[in-house]
Amino acid sequence: MAITVEHLSRTYASSSGTFTAVDDLSFHVAPGEIVGLIGPNGAGKTTTLRSLAGILRPTRGRVRIDAHDIVEAPIEAKRCLAFMPDEPHLFEYLTIAEHLRLVARLYGVEDFDRRCAVLIEELQLTGKEQSLPGELSRGMRQKAVIACGLVRTATTLLFDEPLTGLDPIGIRRMRNTIVSRARDGAAILLSSHLLHLVEEICSRVIIMDRGRKIADGTFAELASRADLASAGSSLEQIFLRVTGNDAPAGQP
Amino acid sequence: MSMFRASLYIVVCTARNRLRVRLRRLREPRYLIGAIVGAAYLYFTFFARMRATRGEVRRRGTGAPPMLALAAVRGSAPGAVGLALMTMTALGWLLPFDSGLLDFSEAEIQFLFPAPVSRRALLIHRMIRSQIGLLFGGVIIGVAMPTFSGYARLRAGIAMWLLLCTAKVYFTGISLARARLGSGDARARRVAWVPVVTLTAALVIVGTAVFRAFARQTVANVQDVLIRIGEVATTGLPAVVLWPFIAVARPLFAPWAGPYLVALGWAALVMAATVVWVLQSDAAFQDAAAEVADRRSRQPEAPRASYRATSNGWALAPTGRPEIAFAWKAAMQTVRLVDKRSLLRIAVLLVGLMVAATTLGRGGGVASTLGAFSIVATLFTVLVAPQIVRVDLRQDLRHLELLKTWPVRPSAVVRGEMLWPGVLITGIAWTAIAVAFVASDAVFPQVRVGWRLASGVAMAIVAPALVFAQLTIHNGMALIFPAWVPLGDQRPRGLDAMGQRLITLTATWLTLVAGALPGAIAGGVIWFALWRLAGPAALVPAAGVGAAILMLEVLLATEALGPAYERLDVMAVERSE
Repeated sequence: MAITVEHLSRTYASSSGTFTAVDDLSFHVAPGEIVGLIGPNGAGKTTTLRSLAGILRPTRGRVRIDAHDIVEAPIEAKRCLAFMPDEPHLFEYLTIAEHLRLVARLYGVEDFDRRCAVLIEELQLTGKEQSLPGELSRGMRQKAVIACGLVRTATTLLFDEPLTGLDPIGIRRMRNTIVSRARDGAAILLSSHLLHLVEEICSRVIIMDRGRKIADGTFAELASRADLASAGSSLEQIFLRVTGNDAPAGQP
Repeated sequence: MSMFRASLYIVVCTARNRLRVRLRRLREPRYLIGAIVGAAYLYFTFFARMRATRGEVRRRGTGAPPMLALAAVRGSAPGAVGLALMTMTALGWLLPFDSGLLDFSEAEIQFLFPAPVSRRALLIHRMIRSQIGLLFGGVIIGVAMPTFSGYARLRAGIAMWLLLCTAKVYFTGISLARARLGSGDARARRVAWVPVVTLTAALVIVGTAVFRAFARQTVANVQDVLIRIGEVATTGLPAVVLWPFIAVARPLFAPWAGPYLVALGWAALVMAATVVWVLQSDAAFQDAAAEVADRRSRQPEAPRASYRATSNGWALAPTGRPEIAFAWKAAMQTVRLVDKRSLLRIAVLLVGLMVAATTLGRGGGVASTLGAFSIVATLFTVLVAPQIVRVDLRQDLRHLELLKTWPVRPSAVVRGEMLWPGVLITGIAWTAIAVAFVASDAVFPQVRVGWRLASGVAMAIVAPALVFAQLTIHNGMALIFPAWVPLGDQRPRGLDAMGQRLITLTATWLTLVAGALPGAIAGGVIWFALWRLAGPAALVPAAGVGAAILMLEVLLATEALGPAYERLDVMAVERSE
């Protein structure tokens, strides 16, 4: 498995006590698979992705990327993955081309110039190579972050709301990009509130609520579940049912 | 009027909520400890010292307040301060100085810009909002005033507040006028040149008078300097030219009650004229405000620093050690932050200061001034610059989320982050040392060249070790106690934050002393073993051994800091105050 998560928990401490953002979460993603991670706000999706990316240390449990434990062998694990966060974090003093060059150096990317040219064209960043992040729109910065993630050959791709700020053409291209990377064998975990996107490109979906996994399976598997059979066939209907939000207006 | 009330409402609510937050955060031990240390510092720095002095005066039986000690210079001090203000004004035109008055917050842009209020009302709103900071400045000056009388403190505080207000508004006017210099409208450009030409003429008049006053004979002491400046400021055309500047400064020195009140009135008049001048710049203000809004909307979380994409000849090689990649990244930041025109202006300023210092004399000419300046610059660069130049983890922890995803050994991240600032500071220190050595004959004519050369080489050897040792401590503090170190562009305020800074500064210096001790002892032993044989040249191997030991400690410390980086929680850094 490209991604293996076993009993992952993440707790935050604060002056008012502790808060468990992710609680005993287990799942896996195989190479070539696109798994959607969905849930209401505060469900723990971003914390999960950040724990997988090595940004947050799990409080309990294990995360393995291509069989490398993210805590015990972080460098090997990180070499295999690319994380595209929802907020584009870029160095405000480096141009887009320099960001790509820096990432390529740190990941030891060969044939950088060719890969960079292809990516720039694929993500519609042509003409923006020498721009600083401050000179770009949010959507362009989002594309730049994704370009940094894709400039190396990662076997595991983690997307957190990848379509935020993109225009319709950008959304279409990004969708194709994600699908093509999966076809090339990458394991993809994608968090999004755009359920139609998840429905369209994901082969499986994990639904989280209050830090816990409340559903995991293909659309067919979820739709055939006894407790969801009456919910409807669309992901939105299933999502509303499992999160307990499908009551008609006026009912508790 | 409704906007005025709205501004007051915002100011009051902001102040009240800020106070509430600061009081609430005292529940955390680090803030409580910081508050206690900050309060103790203030008490022992100002109040305890004042009480001790007052007791001493009582015992001696003389009631003359120290304020009277200023009486000797009271006549010429307003002139000196006025001259300083005029110089600052000239610098405001020369250097890209920003008063911060147009630095609208994100919320202000979102709520007030679309609101049906004029740009002038917005400017007045910003002026009202800046009052808390200015009042605080006035209070600090009042508290620090060397006097026993509470009324004298109050008077000084009010005078200082008026001066700060005028300066803030005036510097905003300069920013607006400077923007108009590049306007596409020829008439607007011509109007914008008026204050520049006026100020240039004023500078020529005053500069010539000052030069004549100091060129006739060597300066005896500070009092002599003040007296001559006082003469310049009170006679002839320079007195007329300097009048607005002196008028703003005079309340600080005027005796109670009549002269003080009259001086206060004139100062208020100057401030009013300044406000009117800035309010007249409505079109420029609109442009400036729109530019701020545009910049903010494009990059809401951007730091205050603005970068320009400039081409440079340093492209990152595709392969190599990660430390070099980090150094390259930081170098790009420095290159893009430092504007070449600003550098040129600073160079002009330094040369001007040098010429002024040489003119003022102290007898030794350019070489001794240059030498003394270089020695001070060396000490400042080696001992203080690592605290100030924060192009390392102290800034980059803002990007921790990104850094943590990179497959780089934590110790390599720490070393890489320190590499560029270390090299930069060392380069500046070496330049200053070289200049100091060249000019050292004029500064220390009684010291033989062998000693001077050996000292210079020894200092050049020790400098990088000291610089990297301090950078290691600062970066280590940022990793181990991220909540205690201001990261990025954060400037936490308040008594508790001040106490925290004092504690971290003390800890830094103690750690540096402890870390440098083994190297110093080893270097001392080498020195005592060799100096009879080699004379001053023994300093060089002694410095070499001391620096090598310190650098070894730095290397070990960066390795030891690796796990701290690995354990560092993004949430610990992201948590705002």
